[in-house]
Amino acid sequence: MAAIIELENISKHYSPTIIGVDKVSLAVEDGEFVTLLGPSGCGKSTLLRMIGGFEEPTAGTIRLADKDVTWDPPYKREVNMVFQDYALFPHMTVGQNVAYGLKTMKVAKSEIADHVRDALTLVGLYDKVDQRPQQLSGGQRQRIALARAIVRKPKVLLLDEPLSALDAKLREQMQLELKHLHEKVGITFIMVTHDQGEALVMSDRVVVMEKGRIAQQGKPQDLYDHPASPYVANFIGTTNFLPGQIAAGGDDLIRVEIGAGTISARPDGARPAGGVVTVGFRPEKARLLADGEGAQNILEGRIAEVIYYGLGLRVAVEIGNGERVFVDSLLPDRLALSAVPVVGAPARVAVEPHNVFVFEGSVAP
Amino acid sequence: MTRNTLTTAGVLLALSTGTALAGDTINVLTWEGYSDPSFISKFEEQSGCKVNATYVGSNDDFAPKLMAGGGVYDLITPSIDTTKLMIDLDFVEPLDTAKIDNWDKIYPKFLGLDGIQKDGAYYGMPYVWGAIAFMYLDSAFTTPPTSIADLWNPELKGKISLWDDKSSIYVAARKNGDMNIYDLSDDQIAAAQAALLEQKPLVRKYWATAGELVDLYKAGEVVISNTWAGYQSGLLAAEGVKVTEFIPTEGAEGWMDSWMVVKGTPNTECAYKFLNMQLSELGQCGVANVNGYSVANPVAAKACMSPEQYAALHQEDPAYLDSLLVWQPLGDRFEAYTNAWNAVKAQ
Amino acid sequence: MTLIRRNLAGALVLGIPFLWIALFMLLPYGIIVTYSFWIKTYPTFKPAFQFGNYLTLFTDPQYLQVMLRTLKIALLVSLCSFLLAYPFAFYLVFRCKSAALRTWLYMAVIAPLWVSYLLRAYVWKTILGTEGILNSFLMSVGIIDQPSDIFLYNQFAMVVTLTYIFIPFMVMPIYTALEKIPHNLTEASADLGMGPWRSFWHVTLPLSLPGVAAGFTLTFCLSFGDFVAPFLVGGPDGNLMANVIATQFGAALNWPLGSALAIVMLVVVLSIVSMSDRLERKGAAGGV
Repeated sequence: MAAIIELENISKHYSPTIIGVDKVSLAVEDGEFVTLLGPSGCGKSTLLRMIGGFEEPTAGTIRLADKDVTWDPPYKREVNMVFQDYALFPHMTVGQNVAYGLKTMKVAKSEIADHVRDALTLVGLYDKVDQRPQQLSGGQRQRIALARAIVRKPKVLLLDEPLSALDAKLREQMQLELKHLHEKVGITFIMVTHDQGEALVMSDRVVVMEKGRIAQQGKPQDLYDHPASPYVANFIGTTNFLPGQIAAGGDDLIRVEIGAGTISARPDGARPAGGVVTVGFRPEKARLLADGEGAQNILEGRIAEVIYYGLGLRVAVEIGNGERVFVDSLLPDRLALSAVPVVGAPARVAVEPHNVFVFEGSVAP
Repeated sequence: MTRNTLTTAGVLLALSTGTALAGDTINVLTWEGYSDPSFISKFEEQSGCKVNATYVGSNDDFAPKLMAGGGVYDLITPSIDTTKLMIDLDFVEPLDTAKIDNWDKIYPKFLGLDGIQKDGAYYGMPYVWGAIAFMYLDSAFTTPPTSIADLWNPELKGKISLWDDKSSIYVAARKNGDMNIYDLSDDQIAAAQAALLEQKPLVRKYWATAGELVDLYKAGEVVISNTWAGYQSGLLAAEGVKVTEFIPTEGAEGWMDSWMVVKGTPNTECAYKFLNMQLSELGQCGVANVNGYSVANPVAAKACMSPEQYAALHQEDPAYLDSLLVWQPLGDRFEAYTNAWNAVKAQ
Repeated sequence: MTLIRRNLAGALVLGIPFLWIALFMLLPYGIIVTYSFWIKTYPTFKPAFQFGNYLTLFTDPQYLQVMLRTLKIALLVSLCSFLLAYPFAFYLVFRCKSAALRTWLYMAVIAPLWVSYLLRAYVWKTILGTEGILNSFLMSVGIIDQPSDIFLYNQFAMVVTLTYIFIPFMVMPIYTALEKIPHNLTEASADLGMGPWRSFWHVTLPLSLPGVAAGFTLTFCLSFGDFVAPFLVGGPDGNLMANVIATQFGAALNWPLGSALAIVMLVVVLSIVSMSDRLERKGAAGGV
């Protein structure tokens, strides 16, 4: 597949010290669903707005379908944007909003109504065609904004935090809807979000950004299971971090000395002995051992806190040197609740070596 | 609470009755200059009466101000075309002429005017008089204008001004050869209206106040107009603008202002002291020096004016006074005149 | 006890404004309406119930003429104010990058409101006069060689002066309306293929219409009731409604006719206000 969008060393420097985006290169393939993920201020929105033409880069090139569009105004680019708060025209009906973008296209007047109907039917809101946006709910407005953008059949659809204004339940539902819509229309989607869950659910590829640069990119599962840095590990999912030093190096199984003992790990590459590292593991990959049960890595401590969140339990265990680690356990059976750990009781945490990340340096995020 | 109420009531009482209670204060509603400090302060010292003056900009101000409520003003000075209205409106009371020392020194011509009397009683004390003369800017004319018709001269387009007053009907009527200007028929008024409409494109601006006319000459906007003889020309001379007054061949209107006592004034004593002062040398020369108007008591004038001033103000020139078409009350014809003038302005 | 006290406080808070309105608005209107049916008889006028005054207004051409002239002047003033104020407000809201400059420019337009109306009108007299600043300038740059008298004492001067005096009332509501338009709407329009001009026409302008309507209403009503500009800078053909009303209450001593004129004027102004109100509400229903 060919790249539909190519960013080459795109930078946006507001001043020598205020840097929005710094030398970002990224290729997005035709039909792909790419998500730019990061906390606010990481440059993801700026990057998206530069693709849309709302801001100009201070350096670099943007190519859309092999054509340099770096300096083209928005109305000359075959991309469309779904704005964060939808930006529906309040003085027009839903139908007029959707038809708006067709006025400048070579669409026969007689066909405009058909296109509008198709687009609104696609998002399931054709019955609202004569209503005003203000009369609709947030989710409905979201879908109108989608229909208005898609009706122009853009080469790329840009979505700027499209679900952030919706409540949690609706957001979950819309995540799937958006994903299915993407599959149905086959247009390239580039979405910006700060919500890692959203990114994991919807995207073919997630680009994690940090301070104007790309921290790591890849398939959701790769990012989750093989984070390249504590930053990524922390931003996607939850991670317990423990500082340590490699006691026994190697290219397969290594041993890391941490304050409360040692921990074995199988890192993604060879690690020499003596290196200062930070190990990490995810709460749901760890478990509490029953009495008498053995495991390869065991951290001993006391239960400090038990948090119930419906799906399961998150247990905070205070290990040797006063550090806390979290352990998740699902409660697949209602009766399992009777086995809830008691605060203050001794506990042993186990984690398999292949579930342990090893990052260079001692700085936890 | 109680004390506050009392204080408030006291303030209100003082405000509402302040003028009526003070028997030694008189409030006059008059033209600028008629109660000028240059001579009024002396009166205040001598008589012990205090004078508060409120000024009017036009004769039209008297009726509305008095209509708005009584008890405020003690004395007024409407012109001879408005005095009758004041009497008919029952705003003024008959004068006790026996209490006015110089009454018999007043020009007999004025004492014979209808406008200041009713049923054999006098309501107005003649005070000052003058002509509605015409005036031109010296530098704009090689041949001095002599006729009202000069205000219709197309060559002076955009340089002409006329008083924004019903008197413009008098001017236009005389231009048409109708000399019965206070007794015009409907047809004559219509003709005057037509003449004014014909003149309108030539007019720069209708002047409404004395100051406005002075400004118009000063700014070079206007070179010919009618004027209150003696007054604006004096102001312009002081500004270094050379203008000349003239009485056109069609004649000029004359005006005369009288002091009238507002009905029911509680300050009769001071009011009569004031009237006596105004008709004495103090008042007569006082106003002549401030406004440049001729005065109603030639005997006092002769005593206090220089011979030059006495002559310049036509105080001993019966022919001049007789040549003036002194304003007369229009009575129920008033509306026809004002309506015609308003129609001219509306067009 | 507290309940009574609270009710008393409430009665005072609501009662005083109500009393104020009754005393200083409703009562005077009532008096004017009453007068308008009275009849003029020398020396003043007497109570009656007849429509003669209104009949006069619609049969005597002089009143219709003045009414039409006043409408014309008021419309011209509103239109000129709009043509000047809109681009200005647009620049301030969308183009002016510096907040300090924006505040400064905005204040520059609003500040004259704090200067006496008369003074501002007088200023125009010195600018437009035959020996005024404008003539001196035109002569110094050689456009004319004789001072021209076409700038002052005519309807042009009235429109210029009134536009200058009332333009803040056009700038303020338009500025507010433009400022309220979310920035992303123009971006959305550009995104959907519309160039700047078409975006302005389809999005910015329609969404700012309530502000324009408010501005038109204010400037129109203010100039419609003005009587100082005709007096100061108007010429022989400059009489407006308010001047005629003043004449009827003054020189003509015909309060009934003056009252009838005032009522007609009130009706015109009220219909304009209610029309604009409807437009604004429509705008609000479809608006932001």
